[in-house]
Amino acid sequence: MTNLEIAQTNSTPGIEADWDSGLLRLRGDSYPENSFALFQPVVEWVETYLRDTQRPLRLELELLYLNTSSVRALMDILDQLEDAHQEQRPVSVTWLYDAANERVADLAEEFKEDCTFPFEIVAKT
Amino acid sequence: MTKPSPHDDVDLSAIAVLLQQCEQQDNPLYESLERLYHRYRQQQRILDRLIRIADQFQLAERERGHRYQSNYQRQARQLEKIIRISDHYHKMMRDLNHRLHILSTHDELTGLANRRYGTQRLEQEVNFVNRHGGTFCIALADIDHFKLINDTHGHAVGDRVLTQVARCLQTHIRDYDLCARWGGEEFMIVFARAAIADVHPLAERLLTAVSQPLQTESATVAVTVSLGVTEYRVGDSLDKALVHADQALYRAKTAGRNRVMCDHSTHLV
Repeated sequence: MTNLEIAQTNSTPGIEADWDSGLLRLRGDSYPENSFALFQPVVEWVETYLRDTQRPLRLELELLYLNTSSVRALMDILDQLEDAHQEQRPVSVTWLYDAANERVADLAEEFKEDCTFPFEIVAKT
Repeated sequence: MTKPSPHDDVDLSAIAVLLQQCEQQDNPLYESLERLYHRYRQQQRILDRLIRIADQFQLAERERGHRYQSNYQRQARQLEKIIRISDHYHKMMRDLNHRLHILSTHDELTGLANRRYGTQRLEQEVNFVNRHGGTFCIALADIDHFKLINDTHGHAVGDRVLTQVARCLQTHIRDYDLCARWGGEEFMIVFARAAIADVHPLAERLLTAVSQPLQTESATVAVTVSLGVTEYRVGDSLDKALVHADQALYRAKTAGRNRVMCDHSTHLV
């Protein structure tokens, strides 16, 4: 399986998925024209990774603004991780935010709510 | 012996007893009765089986219903969460927009309106007077010897003087007037819907209010301002009115500072 690399734009996050290290990173704002088209490859990558390997998966998020359809897409990805966690796969999320914007931490908490796997919300220094 | 079926009102076991009696008594009805009995029993079995199958269907249907319901509930919960998070984001954006608006219209140090916002307000007043008649006044206020204060006491004290004067002007103007930071140590005040005869005493009161020395750890800094005031009338040029207010301020400075000078010239284009 190949890696995934989508460059960040004003309205879409930078997306990097590294197969060998099992790291998926999303960074930036997300209000794309078509969020399905943007997130579908990510959802598929996660699905394939979890199916074809037994290695841990780490999701690193540094997201600021998400529109409604991006919120939904991210929740789908977190659901995938939750399912994997239920099957004893080691998965985790680290959500980085700017300490000057505590609001983002509150939002990350909302996403974390239903997740039973390790989910860290960390202020960037 | 066949058990009586729960779905039947005919007692098969009673018929079976009757059949047995007929057989023992060599009753000629025996064979017919036996056929009838077996046919009936077979039908009974089919009926029982059908009922069991129907029951199973009903059970499966109920389970499917439960599954649908729990799926539906899960999706409803997910939707609620999406909406909640989305609302949260909208609120965050609204607040950020508000902050951005404040940043783009206000001066960071003094918290007063900035020059851009002050200019917008002047244009609004011009439009109002030109449409509805009346007058409004413009005052330009400049802190006296500000450069000397900065050079003698340092920029930190200079900033404190600016903040103190700004706060004082802001508290002493009327609610519907506007005070903006116009330049370095210069402030512009819009006296809405007012004539110069009424504004002059207001400006004198501002002068007295502002003249409070600033006490620092090491010194007492005397603070005064000079003011130039002019009146805008229907059809006037705003640019000329501002130039004339500035000239009045200049006259207040050359006449010895810490005073108000009123301009009565026309600003016609």
